[in-house]
Amino acid sequence: MKRELNTVFAGLGGMLKWLTRNGAALGAAALVALASMAPLALAQQTRWRADYFPNVVLQDQDGRRLRFYDDIIRGKVVAINFIYTTCTDICPLDTAQLRRVQQILGDRVGRDVFMYSISINPESDTPASLRRFMRTYDVGPGWTFLTGSRADVDLLQSRLGIRPVEQNNLSQHGTSIIVGNEVTGQWIKRSSFEAPQLLANLLGQSLHNYAPQATAQRQSYAVVGEVTDTTPGAYIFRTRCRSCHTVGEGDRLGPDLRGVVGTRPRAWLERWIRDPDDMIAERDPTAIAMMARYRNLPMPDLGLGETDIQAVITYLRTQDEAAGHGR
Amino acid sequence: MMTISLRGVVAVCGRLAMISAAAATAAMLSMQPAIADVFDIPTGAPRSPLFQARPFTQPIMLFEEFGNQPAPTSACANCAPLPPPSSCAGVPSGTALDAFLRQTLSPLPTREANTSRPNYWATAVGNCVRPLATSAIEGRPSGEWFAHQRWGEFSGVAASANRLGMVYFQSATSGARVNGGLRDPWQRHGWTRGEFRPASTGALYGTRNAGRQVRFHPNFPAQQPNSVWTFDGTMPPKLLMARYGEPILFRHFNALPIDPSANNGFGAHTLSTHEHNGHNPAESDGFTGAFFFPGQFYDYHWPMVLAGHDSINANANDAHAATPTTGVNATMRIRGDWRETMSTHWFHDHMLDFTAQNVYKGSAAMMNYYSAVDRGNETSTGAQCNYSNPNNVNLCLPSGSALPWGNRDYDVNLLLADKAWDANGQLFFNIFNVDGFLGDQVLVNWTWRPYMDVRARRYRLRILNGAVSRYFQLALVTASGVRVPFHMVGNDGNIMEHAVRFPNAESQDLPVQAIAERYDIVVDFSQVQVGTKIYLINLLEHRDGRGPNETIPLASVLNGSYVGDPAVGRIMEFRVTSYSGVDRSMNPAFYEEGGRVMIPRPVVSDAEIANARHRTFEFGRSSGTDESPWTIKTDGGQGLGMDPHRVSAAPTIGQWEIWHLESGDGWSHPVHIHFEEGRILTRDGAPPPAWERGARKDIYRIGGGPGDNLDVTLLIRFREFLGTFMEHCHNTQHEDHSMLLRWDNRNPGQTVAIPTPIADWEGVYYEPSLDLPTAD
Repeated sequence: MKRELNTVFAGLGGMLKWLTRNGAALGAAALVALASMAPLALAQQTRWRADYFPNVVLQDQDGRRLRFYDDIIRGKVVAINFIYTTCTDICPLDTAQLRRVQQILGDRVGRDVFMYSISINPESDTPASLRRFMRTYDVGPGWTFLTGSRADVDLLQSRLGIRPVEQNNLSQHGTSIIVGNEVTGQWIKRSSFEAPQLLANLLGQSLHNYAPQATAQRQSYAVVGEVTDTTPGAYIFRTRCRSCHTVGEGDRLGPDLRGVVGTRPRAWLERWIRDPDDMIAERDPTAIAMMARYRNLPMPDLGLGETDIQAVITYLRTQDEAAGHGR
Repeated sequence: MMTISLRGVVAVCGRLAMISAAAATAAMLSMQPAIADVFDIPTGAPRSPLFQARPFTQPIMLFEEFGNQPAPTSACANCAPLPPPSSCAGVPSGTALDAFLRQTLSPLPTREANTSRPNYWATAVGNCVRPLATSAIEGRPSGEWFAHQRWGEFSGVAASANRLGMVYFQSATSGARVNGGLRDPWQRHGWTRGEFRPASTGALYGTRNAGRQVRFHPNFPAQQPNSVWTFDGTMPPKLLMARYGEPILFRHFNALPIDPSANNGFGAHTLSTHEHNGHNPAESDGFTGAFFFPGQFYDYHWPMVLAGHDSINANANDAHAATPTTGVNATMRIRGDWRETMSTHWFHDHMLDFTAQNVYKGSAAMMNYYSAVDRGNETSTGAQCNYSNPNNVNLCLPSGSALPWGNRDYDVNLLLADKAWDANGQLFFNIFNVDGFLGDQVLVNWTWRPYMDVRARRYRLRILNGAVSRYFQLALVTASGVRVPFHMVGNDGNIMEHAVRFPNAESQDLPVQAIAERYDIVVDFSQVQVGTKIYLINLLEHRDGRGPNETIPLASVLNGSYVGDPAVGRIMEFRVTSYSGVDRSMNPAFYEEGGRVMIPRPVVSDAEIANARHRTFEFGRSSGTDESPWTIKTDGGQGLGMDPHRVSAAPTIGQWEIWHLESGDGWSHPVHIHFEEGRILTRDGAPPPAWERGARKDIYRIGGGPGDNLDVTLLIRFREFLGTFMEHCHNTQHEDHSMLLRWDNRNPGQTVAIPTPIADWEGVYYEPSLDLPTAD
């Protein structure tokens, strides 16, 4: 019965699970009510189903063989992006941002939201290198890394609206994140440049037909005027840096930035934020030493402009001052 | 070579009726990569079957007027609620919906969103989604931030000095159905006047709308409820006839399926409605994040004031600033600057992430603004027209004279949009390709290659490009291949200072027309002999949805040697019939440059221009590769996608600003700035062409395609209303992914950003907004 409803009531798969998980009585009541509604002959008119998505076989990081349609997306809300493990420019930022999305969604990832990163360099990216990559980024459960044949991955990209690139041009690959609900046929292309919270809202709320109650505490109309820290630096930190760093809450993927404004020369810090890849390429001794301490994970180029860089540094300094550091 | 195989594929696809559209799509994609590389039209799909239909065999559908009613003064005691959907994936029955919409406005509109009653469909939503702890009948964000601004001034039911009483119309966006004749009694012409009398009287357009199906041609299958979503769920497309000085309350019900999958492959069931370039307060501008759900309504309040209402002509003593009233050529004076008079608008969905799909699916209407200068009455003698005496304000644009204002006998709205449909004839959209979606068939007013009978006299054509990603360039040509001269009188819905004759030294045909651009033209069909057929021809070739490729020479189109983009060619036929009346409408030749002025542009001093605040917006890709996401950089900052929390610019109310729009990637981006039209100062540093010199624009073409420039500089100013507005690329696929930014219009010294509404089934709550450093 439940399985059938999951199929018939397009878009409700996740919701029913949610209902049954979050209160048997509530769930049961809803099921009875659902059954009393007229049959949904028109439902699932979505075109984007088994005959659109290729059912190609991919291998996950543990060497398990999974079919793209049947095992990976069918009946699920998913986020899919394309990476390769030797990618040094954009993939680290993508991955760090997605990791933040995963943290926001918590244990829903693997339960009613599924995340996938698929290698566009499948010849080199074996399950073992995927595992290494996942360890580097401290990827949690519910987020699967996949590799397969080149032709299959190219085909997948095309169907998902991403132009495949030549093997000698991997750094130009499409970095969009495809989010969708296979049951409702809603698919949206997003970018890792966006705030992870927005992506998490999309995956956790909108694509579930807004069925889960908003987890974020709703702010009443009365308090919205009193906004706390909305400086530009705080915003950039929240959207770009917090995936890897904290200020005073310990190391994450990258170092705790408490006091960094006082420790590092200003010019070095500015350049490190602006052109980290250049400094790594030049084997800047501080940069190289740091990488060794942090999983050899390179600091990504965040594409920040001068104003933004100054705003972030100002934010870090005010955080230090508020905590009595960095004087 | 390419072309031959493309045709072969089309023929094959015509026989694929039993295979699902997706399978056919998949088959196409694997079979023909090379062809798709050259002309990917329709984007990622096989050609649309034509079911043996022949072009120019059906009459065009003319727009159906919503029909404004006086706003009620007291609550309706026994009005029925919005009828429920038939199932989680269904919509209300058409009969029930018509009966509901025929009732008066109930409950009465309120200044703050009405959250005192639950969603009409709260029970069904509880059954289909989850039980709701709370919900609201109105989806407008609650409280003061989205309360109607200046409600006390512009909502009075009774007329007051310099203002008419508020009127309302209501519609429910719902699935395609047969027109039940709901609005037939509300057409201003009453089917008894002019060309709208019954055909038996010899009139041209007297066919009532009851019984019309949503069907693009009699040979094609009718559209299913999940394929097309329109206002009322019906055809013809809808027209709002609005008057200055007469505030409008539009109650928009969402009667779409609760189940988001019931959309035949595209379209979101949440809505936000943007009145394109209306001088409207932000809460009624259709902010992309202020969307509402099935079972709710949203009250849009459009005050219908001239810009400059607070600062110019405050005593309402300028005869040009006036609105038509019921007497012949009678007017009532209003406040504001008549140089800001607007004429041809449209309103359409603006849902976050889904604007392209929803507009394509049918969520678009046109809106004509009527004023003393452009009242839609050409008068019966001409003596009261501006061309007879410069002291007369009525320009007497072609329209008709049976009604005191708003005659549509010779004033025709034309909505152009390219579409595609599947083997079963159902509307198709490729949601995965975000470069831009192209259809292979152009519909005019949702009819496939229609003909239109016209009189041998002057007509005004209000041409809107209502496509998702397609640009047009239109030619008007007789069957024997001769260009028909005409004048452009309005650009982006605003009457220009001077009429511009075509062909002219700068352009043979109409200029490139980007998505959402409106060109009002006056054509004199008496130039040709009765019986002549004249064609509207699209000359602008696309190869994909990124932007137009090139203009095809007319000769190649006419002699059939051009093969490529299937949307290039004849899209509509005019059949010239005899006219027994005397044409009293204005001859636009009197108003060409050097002659009389139609509507001068607002006055701005050199000092004001010198002191204007400059802002730069760069539309492109942040890292230069084709595969990076689209972004907008404000004043040299970070390239950003859309975040409704983030305020990228915050002009101060009433101050002139100069905005520099730049294209970073060579693709074509028609940029739209909400709320206010601007004047183009330069295109790539040079003065704009004749048809933009005396114009007020709200779409600015930038990019590397035909009709584009790398940068456009414009002068603009925001007055009367505050709040959260937007600026974006109107290639709606780009807009959705996510070339869109938020700017707020603020009071001097205002430091608190309006919070960001976040909506779900239980209502709207707010999150803090954030000013970027560029927001000042």
